[in-house]
Amino acid sequence: MDQNALNNIRKTVTENPIVLYMKGTPQFPQCGFSGLAAQVLKACGVTDYVAVNVLADAEVYENLKYYANWPTFPQLYIKGELIGGSDIMKDLYEKGEMQKLVESAKA
Amino acid sequence: MPTPENVKTYIEQGLECTHIEVQGDGRHFEAVIVSPAFVGKGMLQQHQLVYKALGDRMHEEVHALSMKTFTPDEWAK
Repeated sequence: MDQNALNNIRKTVTENPIVLYMKGTPQFPQCGFSGLAAQVLKACGVTDYVAVNVLADAEVYENLKYYANWPTFPQLYIKGELIGGSDIMKDLYEKGEMQKLVESAKA
Repeated sequence: MPTPENVKTYIEQGLECTHIEVQGDGRHFEAVIVSPAFVGKGMLQQHQLVYKALGDRMHEEVHALSMKTFTPDEWAK
């Protein structure tokens, strides 16, 4: 665990309202779960968010699991809080709650 | 590679489960988990409990775990 890397993650998720850590990019996801996460955001009408490709950032790849005690990718952060991975995002979307969360991030 | 049965045992060793089903191909797994430990917790915290039970095996052996978590009351419905 690298404290510097954790500080950088904290900075990223607190300075940006919506951050998705994923494998690949929203246009070219490298993993089905990451692709699903990007699709959920798209379905919520979110176009303006920070997507971090963890495959292109070894420091984040190695350390993100320690930041919020969450061992897998993707990870969605809204206003600095971990919302969850693709299972939770899909579930929240189906309940109509993801749409509210992203609205709250714009405010 | 772990079998679904292995993953089931790993989770049960770290978390009290009243019902658990695991399917998977050795890398990606899907699980349905019912535990009294989930009562009063949000989905995020419930999934974190499962990850905690798996500990270092998550990553080293299990690449991805897709899960549905229920409290015993929710499961009974």
